[in-house]
Amino acid sequence: MEQFIQQLINGLAVGGIYALVALGYTMVYGVLKLINFAHGDLFTIGAYLGLTLLVSSNLAGLLTPVGAAIAVFIMVSLFVALIGWILERAAYRPLRNANRLSAVVSALGASIFFENAIMLIYGARVYVYPEFMRPDFSIPLLGINVPFMRLLIIAASVILMVCLWLFIQRTRMGASIRAVAIDQAASRLMGINVDRVISLVFLIGPGLGGAAGLMVGIYYGQIDFTMGWTYGLKAFTAAILGGIGNIPGAMLGGFLLGVTEALAAGYIAMAWKDAVAFLVLIIILIIRPTGILGERTADKL
Amino acid sequence: MKKIGGLLAIFAIVFLFAWPVAAADIKIGLMCPLTGKWASEGQDMKNIVSLLVDQANAAGGINGQKIELVVEDDAGDPRTAALAAQKLASSGVCAVIGTYGSAVTEASQNILDEAEIVQIGTGSTSVRLTEKGLEKFFRTCPRDDAQGKSAAKRIKEGGFKKVALLHDNSSYAKGLADETRQELNKAGVPVIFYDALTPGERDYTAILTRLKAANPDLIFYTGYYPETGMLLRQKKEMGWQIPMMGGDAANHQDLLKIAGPEAAAGYFFISPPLPQDMDTKEAQDFLAAYKAKYNSLPVSVWAVLAGDAFKAVAAALKEGRADPEAMAEWLKTLKNLPALSGTLGFDSRGDRVGEFYRAYVVDDKGAFKIQAK
Amino acid sequence: MNRKALYILIPAALCLLPVFSNAYWTEVGVMIGIYALLSLSLNVMLGQAGIFNMGHTAFFAVGAYTTAILNTICHWPIFLTMLPAGAAAGLFALFIARPIIHLRGDYLLVVTIGIVEIVRIALINNVFGLTGGSNGIFGISRPMFFGFKIVKGIQFYYLVWGMVTISLLLFHGLWKSRFGRALNYIKEDDVAAEGCGINVTDYKLSAFVLGAFWAGMAGTVYAAKMVTIAPESFNFMESVMLFAVVILSGGSQIGVLASVFLFIGLPEVLREFSEARMLIFGLAMMVMMVWRPQGLLPPLARKYPLAKRLLDENSTEKAA
Repeated sequence: MEQFIQQLINGLAVGGIYALVALGYTMVYGVLKLINFAHGDLFTIGAYLGLTLLVSSNLAGLLTPVGAAIAVFIMVSLFVALIGWILERAAYRPLRNANRLSAVVSALGASIFFENAIMLIYGARVYVYPEFMRPDFSIPLLGINVPFMRLLIIAASVILMVCLWLFIQRTRMGASIRAVAIDQAASRLMGINVDRVISLVFLIGPGLGGAAGLMVGIYYGQIDFTMGWTYGLKAFTAAILGGIGNIPGAMLGGFLLGVTEALAAGYIAMAWKDAVAFLVLIIILIIRPTGILGERTADKL
Repeated sequence: MKKIGGLLAIFAIVFLFAWPVAAADIKIGLMCPLTGKWASEGQDMKNIVSLLVDQANAAGGINGQKIELVVEDDAGDPRTAALAAQKLASSGVCAVIGTYGSAVTEASQNILDEAEIVQIGTGSTSVRLTEKGLEKFFRTCPRDDAQGKSAAKRIKEGGFKKVALLHDNSSYAKGLADETRQELNKAGVPVIFYDALTPGERDYTAILTRLKAANPDLIFYTGYYPETGMLLRQKKEMGWQIPMMGGDAANHQDLLKIAGPEAAAGYFFISPPLPQDMDTKEAQDFLAAYKAKYNSLPVSVWAVLAGDAFKAVAAALKEGRADPEAMAEWLKTLKNLPALSGTLGFDSRGDRVGEFYRAYVVDDKGAFKIQAK
Repeated sequence: MNRKALYILIPAALCLLPVFSNAYWTEVGVMIGIYALLSLSLNVMLGQAGIFNMGHTAFFAVGAYTTAILNTICHWPIFLTMLPAGAAAGLFALFIARPIIHLRGDYLLVVTIGIVEIVRIALINNVFGLTGGSNGIFGISRPMFFGFKIVKGIQFYYLVWGMVTISLLLFHGLWKSRFGRALNYIKEDDVAAEGCGINVTDYKLSAFVLGAFWAGMAGTVYAAKMVTIAPESFNFMESVMLFAVVILSGGSQIGVLASVFLFIGLPEVLREFSEARMLIFGLAMMVMMVWRPQGLLPPLARKYPLAKRLLDENSTEKAA
């Protein structure tokens, strides 16, 4: 039983990261119906950028570690959001009226480009975050010691999800995002500046991705230029699992995927863990063809 | 019209690049992963071999002939490797050094064999590569079974009774784990756990939790340094005190950075030695030159083994064996050549001969310390 | 100059390529040919029927491993394994597609991603003790063609491109047939297609199985060419690349060929740039897509001679 709870918490922590990355994924998808393959690499950029800021600037000397962490989070999010905004302008906007899969190729190209750009700028070796950033204590919970950082990751993904959800549901800007997601042409007729809304989405999505990258860097320490691909794939899977375009769904999907993986590794076979996770995904989609929280609507008619 | 013109232009460019370029005195090929997930290893290989080539050329070449190094990227992918090998074969090299990864090497083997070019593998430890009876294939790295024997010996000496074997399902790590399991079974040391993790991830706590429940007294992870570093780090985070051991893919300075000094302390592995741990003249000379050019120490033993491969080719060329047939014949008789990781020689199958595994331990300050033989 | 000229120029250029270039470019040509076969087979699903399949290498892998196992264990000659390889891939496709074919767009896409990953993990874990785990299978023999052994790159080149030509003709016939029209209708609007009495599920399944069958046969050629196969060659990234090839092509057969030339050929052309070559390749992908958002060569509009004749007759009747 203790082992089961332990595995559950392991899975939730991994799932929290998936959920964080999936939030940005699902934002972009919900509005543009675009599978943004470059999202994983924006995540990697966040991780590298955070490291550069932490090492080169003397933030930790000027502020307390907590203050430094917050400052770096804000700077990384802003910068990665800017890259996302440029990416949308350069690679996705010209394709908006084409077949929606065309943008997938462009996104894939962007992914390869970013991955190799990071390799050429930083070199191919792994980088490691400085130790001082990491809160290194545990909290007893349900009879086991849980590292504080894991709880922080789980909490962060829940809090960010709630903020994002409130933003989408309760604000004027959020209402226009929802409108654009449903029908771009009609929203334009209603006086919504569609281009601006999409730009906004491409600021929020990549910004969240960058923050997730930084969080992975701080917690796990080790970053390398290929890490975005794995996280991107897992996050996309999580977003689909929860019902893509649905913000609480992305979080739910992330946690579910993380827990499935941990339990598969813990109780079935470690080497087959990803296969088990995908099998669960396929079964869920056979039962619920639009994901767990996805709306059951017909595409046409 | 315009689009057809554009397409034709693209085809024309492809054709233009298709013509071979002018030849130098002697060409040696290096095939290594310059892009993709093993790019770090491949770029190190390139650095070391090109340093040695520059040295040889600065000294007037080999027997007065300049060496030209042709480097091709295999991206750590079998399909790209087949094309890289073909490109090297078409560019008139007499020998090819490389590459990293057994499956990748295997994809290039038959192409180079059919082109009748000597190939010296550097990071391809899978047993069967030299069991196929290819005349011109050699390798400077030890085989999985040799390493498995050394590892099993080390485990027996350590007096461990319940061993957990963990690999990453790469052909290298799986091979080493299988060979070690065989040796341990022969020696009567029980292997109580045997499974694979998924490489390239960050979080291995689920795996460690399961391992802990199995209650071994030693974890032998046979895979590469990034995962080893994460395992050590998360093991410490869990507060689990258990000795952990590794193979030669752990011999990389970045392991220490990833794990951190506290978590890494006490970790041990077996590996061919790095030049900085050798007191031979070759190793020290090379080290000085490497420091002067790249301002750092070599970090990975696999890249050093690529340097060894060049030493072997250079020795053959010095004997006037530039023809691949003659070179292969001569290399099979090569014994006791002073090289970067000790003395180098090949047996009739093309495997490296000699016992050159050394045990390394991470000390309390978090540094690799080689142990006395 | 029009498309007709392309139909003459390109085959001529392809026939002459190995004569005028060295063994390396011939080898690249062989790889392009194998990927052309794969992309053409994916085009049946993705380009014609609009089935979002991002796991095409799963069928490629099933075909390649079927050939490898039949050849190394049962010692079947390579050409004899081609049909079983296709059939194995087709059956596998039928088995997995039946429950998932009704999924829409991106949900189907992620399921096919899951399938390619499951297949790769199964191969790497030596499923049924047949696949050789991460080492893969080696020692696959060369194909014999009426007593003539195919070994050299140039021989493979003509074999592969011969197969590509046959596939092009067959798939062109398919496109012109009732079946092809039904697939196109499903792609444009599956609800309306259903309403017109087209059995959408059956047609989609047929397209899926046909594409998988062809990919399995491409796997045979790949196994025979490489002599050794390993799970690493059949990863998710390869699937995504094939997907991108078909999308960039625009959906026509000739577009698929042009696109596959760019995707497999360009990284080879860029070898001059060593470490930076994939950076340039990624950039080129973006630029090409932005340059031609509709794809390189989208299919021409269908012509219906019968309808045209009827129209003409109508107008002459009226005139009379």
